[in-house]
Amino acid sequence: MADVFASIPFTIIATGALVGVAASLLGTFLVLRRSSLTTDAIGHAIVLGIVLVWLATGATSGPVQLLGAAAAGVATVLLADALTRTKSVRTDAAIGLVFPALFSIGVVLLNVFARSVHIDAHTVLLGEIGFIWLDTVSIAGLQVPDALLWIFVVTILNLVFVTVFFKELELSTFDPALATAFGLAPAALGVGLLVLTSVTAVASFDAVGVVLFVAFAIVPPSAAYLISDRLSHILGISSAIAVASSVSGYGLAVAMDVSIGGMMAVMTGVFLTLAFLLSPRYGLVAQELRRRADLVLGENRALAVHLCQHEDDPNAGEENVLTALQTHLRWEDNKARKVVARCVDGGWILRDGSRLVLTDMGRAAAIEILQPSK
Amino acid sequence: MSEAKIHEPNLAIHVEDLTVNYGSHPALWDVDLDVPPGVMAAIVGPNGAGKSTLLKAILGLVTPTAGHVYILGRPFGEQRRRVGYVPQRTSVDWDFPTRVLDVVTMGLYGELGWLRRPGRAERERALAALEQVGMVDYQDRQIAQLSGGQQQRTFLARALVQDADVLFLDEPMAGVDATSEAAILSVMRDLRAEGKTLLVVHHDLQTVRTTFDWMALLNVRLIAQGSVEEVYTRENLQEAYGGNVALLAATPQEDRPLGT
Amino acid sequence: MLALLTDYTVQTVILGALLLGLTSGALGSFAVLRQQSLLGDALSHAALPGIALGFLVAGSRSLPALLAGALITAVAAALTITLLLRRSRLKSDAAIGISLSLYFAVGVVLLSYVQGSAGAGQAGLESFLFGQAAAMLRSDLVVMSVLALASLALLLALWKEFEVTSFDPVFAASIGLPVVLLDAVMTAMIALAVVLGLQMVGVVLMSAMIVAPAVAARQWTDRLDSMTILAALLAALSGVVGALISATARGLSTGPLIVLALTVITLVSLAFAPKRGWIASSLARRRARRNLHEHQVLDILQGLALRHDDAAYLSEEGMVDSALGVRARTTLQQLERQGLVERDSHRPEEGPHWRLTAEGREAQGNALHSGGKA
Repeated sequence: MADVFASIPFTIIATGALVGVAASLLGTFLVLRRSSLTTDAIGHAIVLGIVLVWLATGATSGPVQLLGAAAAGVATVLLADALTRTKSVRTDAAIGLVFPALFSIGVVLLNVFARSVHIDAHTVLLGEIGFIWLDTVSIAGLQVPDALLWIFVVTILNLVFVTVFFKELELSTFDPALATAFGLAPAALGVGLLVLTSVTAVASFDAVGVVLFVAFAIVPPSAAYLISDRLSHILGISSAIAVASSVSGYGLAVAMDVSIGGMMAVMTGVFLTLAFLLSPRYGLVAQELRRRADLVLGENRALAVHLCQHEDDPNAGEENVLTALQTHLRWEDNKARKVVARCVDGGWILRDGSRLVLTDMGRAAAIEILQPSK
Repeated sequence: MSEAKIHEPNLAIHVEDLTVNYGSHPALWDVDLDVPPGVMAAIVGPNGAGKSTLLKAILGLVTPTAGHVYILGRPFGEQRRRVGYVPQRTSVDWDFPTRVLDVVTMGLYGELGWLRRPGRAERERALAALEQVGMVDYQDRQIAQLSGGQQQRTFLARALVQDADVLFLDEPMAGVDATSEAAILSVMRDLRAEGKTLLVVHHDLQTVRTTFDWMALLNVRLIAQGSVEEVYTRENLQEAYGGNVALLAATPQEDRPLGT
Repeated sequence: MLALLTDYTVQTVILGALLLGLTSGALGSFAVLRQQSLLGDALSHAALPGIALGFLVAGSRSLPALLAGALITAVAAALTITLLLRRSRLKSDAAIGISLSLYFAVGVVLLSYVQGSAGAGQAGLESFLFGQAAAMLRSDLVVMSVLALASLALLLALWKEFEVTSFDPVFAASIGLPVVLLDAVMTAMIALAVVLGLQMVGVVLMSAMIVAPAVAARQWTDRLDSMTILAALLAALSGVVGALISATARGLSTGPLIVLALTVITLVSLAFAPKRGWIASSLARRRARRNLHEHQVLDILQGLALRHDDAAYLSEEGMVDSALGVRARTTLQQLERQGLVERDSHRPEEGPHWRLTAEGREAQGNALHSGGKA
């Protein structure tokens, strides 16, 4: 077993995968609640928490750090919330005010007190896996197992939280009013979500830094959201994407000799792009196909309606003829022929010499438009 | 296509074959609308009938799947200067730092063109428009401090200042206090007296007969259009609204005149 | 202090900070009003890959190349956000967060690649993370001022179009303005403002330069033009203050100091601005409540006097308390100071009694003049 941990690739990939899973489990709910950017705010603000805890206790990792950072993360969101409630500032602006301020205080404190320690703002921002100015071999020292241990713990924590409170989280995300009515305390759940997000952010900063943490928290769930409608599936798919990104990211990063954490995050983007394009339900390709189908349907309907409206006309012989379509519906010859052929194939119309006649099915389709049922 | 395409110059608004699809669901289908000049026209229909969509499609705010719009004989695109629009109140950020006078002056931005700034002449015109809607005393008021009816009157003034011949209004009197309702109606009547044409999406079927002289019944398709006497029949209403028309006041005695 | 101002570097820094402040304050006003506060955050993080690309293409740290690269990737990020919003069901917070983190991740990867291959120049690139004013060159200033003045000139030229498009895009479209194009230009200008500020404030904190000045300025004025000018000035002021402190104290990053100065200014504005400020509005609320109570107490005394048919009726304070619903003592004292009521303590064991004075009766309108007969 110890051999496995001595394997650098394994520890790195495992850390990355766990960061991804831990972050995306919570991120799913944040995305669905439209609070994705809280991860950004929390991620930056915990720097202050980390620095304050370090100044107070000298610890640079471990449970005290986790708690201190959690407090900072929650404080950020509460401050932004309070600011919004004064009505002087909108929600998005409030976030954009609070976290830079807290982050700045953190960095200034670092500049003043912590010049030499391993917590420098740079590391916090970019993380150590991504900190490629260091020889990656040194990561196989004590730090990765340490970070790996803590991110593992946090992942379990998040997994437990999401599983135990699944129903409550689901309801309060989709229908907060109803959740309150049921006494499910969506506010308390929200705070719980925040606390865990902050804790996860701290546990991740060692590995990937705060901004990449944001990527892991938001991107896999967004990709999953484009694929599925079911919450449990979204959670599963985003975790799978997180793991896949971690593995592929590591491989590519090593091959190209670039930042591993960065590459892992970039891979989440690749998966998002794939989902964006190819999702069978919501992807761009599917949308385009639907659009074409709608266009075709619209043309067929136009033909059916035209025929229906002129059916009982004494001039029907002139109206319901291919050439008349060109003048009335302003269709070119080719287009008119194509639509007619489609409708014939689809069983909406029949040819009677040069006349076009509606079938019962065609007439039903036309009537749907002419007399929309309420 | 540079030569003048004059088509139906005797109609204020001439719409042909207007069709708008949202996905596979038609919001408007094959709408032909002919509004004569100098009338106060109402578009009525049940919820979701496409009334606002009709207005937006005419104004080019929504892309139609098919159809053409002519204003006073020319394609809509060439007639923007002669057209005014009073949208629903909901689309605006009311905390925007701007005063009533500023909002009305914005109505002239299209006319001013690029690079020109609004000057004294524009200010005078804006004040005149505010005078017309009875809001001159509020010219320096922040829009956030206005009531719903006052906001609506400000929007009306913004359309007035453009001196348009054809005005489109989307539910101008919905959710508005009695004073503002009376003021808005009075302005509308003045405009009609000046020979302008108004096309109004109206929210309240009950008050159509006492307010408008021309109407169109819309439910995705155009059910009927013409003078209010011609169109406001049980048969037409039934076709447009479906269901129980007895709930609708169809007899003159039960109508309450608007603005009184 | 004066010696400082003659220092070459300090002069450069101050001028740079001025330019940064003016553009970010002015354009930030529009961003905030259009509810795109966090767009600045996304744009600044997305600038990172552009900076790395610029360096790679130019082969050295040439500011025009870096800025050009930054602008290109920032604009690309903005386009990505629009694409995600228009063609998928992702919401704006997710779109911004995705763009922000993924472009930044690409930046991290590129930065690591540069580190691996280029050698000496990359130290200069890192200064873009938090800003290092002292690294600015006079030649940089020339480039910056040209760009800054150009964008401010464009803002002025298209002022009314931007105003109406931001306030009421539907109406703007109806009068024939090319709203989509104007939005694109505005976004590009915000991107330019962000890019100009990166050297001084850094990638992480640039969003504060966009948001905070606008929020602060909004508290002082209700007009768009004065708000924009004030925002520009406040931002410039913070820039200069922060830059000066950073220049004097070695080892302190410029960005956080500027942001802290800005935060102080913003908090002061939020709290102390007349009318909109927290203190002013809380005082106004208190005054309104006091007026209400005063009216209510006068009504109560009048009512009691009428009931007892005695204009000089003395009401026991306890009765007034219960009628008002809260303790009336302060209100009664205020009214006494105004000469509208008077007290009578001739029966000390029963506590003070109060009645309306002649002025008080007059203020209430004449129901009691005739000595009680209504």
